[in-house]
Amino acid sequence: MFSEQAAPTAQGLLAPPSGEPPTFPRVAVAGYSDLSQPFRLGERSFCRQYAHVYAVRLAGMRPCLERRARGRWGEDIALRRLSELQEGEKCCVVGTLFKAMQLQPSILQEISEEHNLVPQPPLPKYIQPCDELILEDELQRIKLEGAIDVQRLVTGTIVAVYGREEEDGRFLVEDHCLADLLPPLPWSGPSSDRFVLLASGLGLGSMSGEALLSTQLLVDVVTGQLGAEGEQSCAAHITRVILAGNLLSQNTQSRDTINKAKYLTKKTQAASVEAVKMLDEILLQLCSSVPVDVMPGEFDPTNYTLPQQPLHRCMLPLASAYATLRLVTNPYQASLDGVRFLGTSGQNISDIFKYSSMDDYLEILEWTLLAGHISPTAPDTLGCYPFYKSDPFILTECPHVYFCGNAPRFQSKLLQGKEGQRVLLVTVPDFSATQTACLINLRDLSCQPIAFSSFGADSED
Amino acid sequence: MEQPRRITDSFPRRRRRRGPGRPPGRLKDRKDKDKDKDQDKAQLKVRECPRGPSQPPPDPALMEMLRRFDLSWEYGPCSGITRLQRWERAQELGLSPPGPIRDALLEHRDNP
Repeated sequence: MFSEQAAPTAQGLLAPPSGEPPTFPRVAVAGYSDLSQPFRLGERSFCRQYAHVYAVRLAGMRPCLERRARGRWGEDIALRRLSELQEGEKCCVVGTLFKAMQLQPSILQEISEEHNLVPQPPLPKYIQPCDELILEDELQRIKLEGAIDVQRLVTGTIVAVYGREEEDGRFLVEDHCLADLLPPLPWSGPSSDRFVLLASGLGLGSMSGEALLSTQLLVDVVTGQLGAEGEQSCAAHITRVILAGNLLSQNTQSRDTINKAKYLTKKTQAASVEAVKMLDEILLQLCSSVPVDVMPGEFDPTNYTLPQQPLHRCMLPLASAYATLRLVTNPYQASLDGVRFLGTSGQNISDIFKYSSMDDYLEILEWTLLAGHISPTAPDTLGCYPFYKSDPFILTECPHVYFCGNAPRFQSKLLQGKEGQRVLLVTVPDFSATQTACLINLRDLSCQPIAFSSFGADSED
Repeated sequence: MEQPRRITDSFPRRRRRRGPGRPPGRLKDRKDKDKDKDQDKAQLKVRECPRGPSQPPPDPALMEMLRRFDLSWEYGPCSGITRLQRWERAQELGLSPPGPIRDALLEHRDNP
């Protein structure tokens, strides 16, 4: 976008300063509504167990899966519960998957004295060839075998399997299906070019000057202080900036105060204090010019369990004075100009990456959309609030843009569904490592990366 | 002090015979033993507030109906949430829990 319009007017930079510099008003914000109310927690009570989450997840997704099963294998297939299974009868069962993994870190094993185990170091992937899949419904569980990819699926997914029960109590699967894409939302996107900038993993507080310069370049481009008139007019079309998590870097997380002696740590303050001050200054520059949505990430000062609550505005005193700053929850859903956005800061995708054989973040993102659930591994291996009434991570509407932050590299894909759904899948790369952000055009759901390297011959895309 | 009431009070209570080497229990020990037995019998964690002297004893048929509602598996796990919350959740999920249960729960709102 920038290069086509910028090139003709680049000569303007070599001219003497004009008396009246041209100004470009930013395109007006039209139609924003924040739909992430289900992810906000009011009163929090932790005296419940996680059985409720699984129960409501199964109960909530069962009707959808039964419809899909009937559509796929015929209207008159037998839908049975596990307690009603008869040996040798071909039927369909809907239930929650559980993957029994040998390498899965288990706190009980670590502290159990009879095992005498040293806690294992974190591995990139915990899958093994001997992992097993077990299907659970409300009352029973049964081991699954057959035409089902054990390595690929993860715990917590709701599936419908079609097959029959064998003599020794296993279920031989002939086919299985997930919840699949939901019916499409009506499209009411803008008719002219409007852009949204997605960035994640700013990684402030990491003591690396290179990333800071790139961040400042990003801010300057968005606020229109860089480039000639062409680039400035392009920047005026950016209607919103979404920062998808990990605004602070992992270095701010070190808890030296616990390990070191008291006399060494008396005068130190947490590294995150300095980093949040830097974040406040950067957000101040951005907010004075463009609406910004800030999502917390894995290393940000908010709660650890999903859904992460918004950062508190008292941490950002300078930037909170502007109404354009919106502090939002971690799975974030909003409707911008009629385009439905849904995204996370990447913890759900990286957790599935650890426990599945899928290697590509974009593939995992697409898989979660087809499974109908943002984060199936949620109470099992990823921290989650013990919901009891409903599971807010179940996808109820098909978004137009589905993104995840802190991916290793930028990828995007426009997924076309059978019922006419168009979903743009975007994996937003980690800015502190790749210095790349994403620009999404709301008019035609196209996406392009924009890189801010400070040295070298890289040009903006 | 009155012992806190539990749903399991309507189950017949069996006292375990004391072993020969046990010291004579004080009142406190006996209460703890009863608590453990009750928790063994049923894993329901819902606590009932101590009944004030002015309230009439609960209807055993009503207690039976409520217990059956707690133990029915269709409405999901029963521990950790109040019966009314569980009823509302079942209603929203479309499982059609029986209406009289809700009326009874709202009538005795002070005694969950």
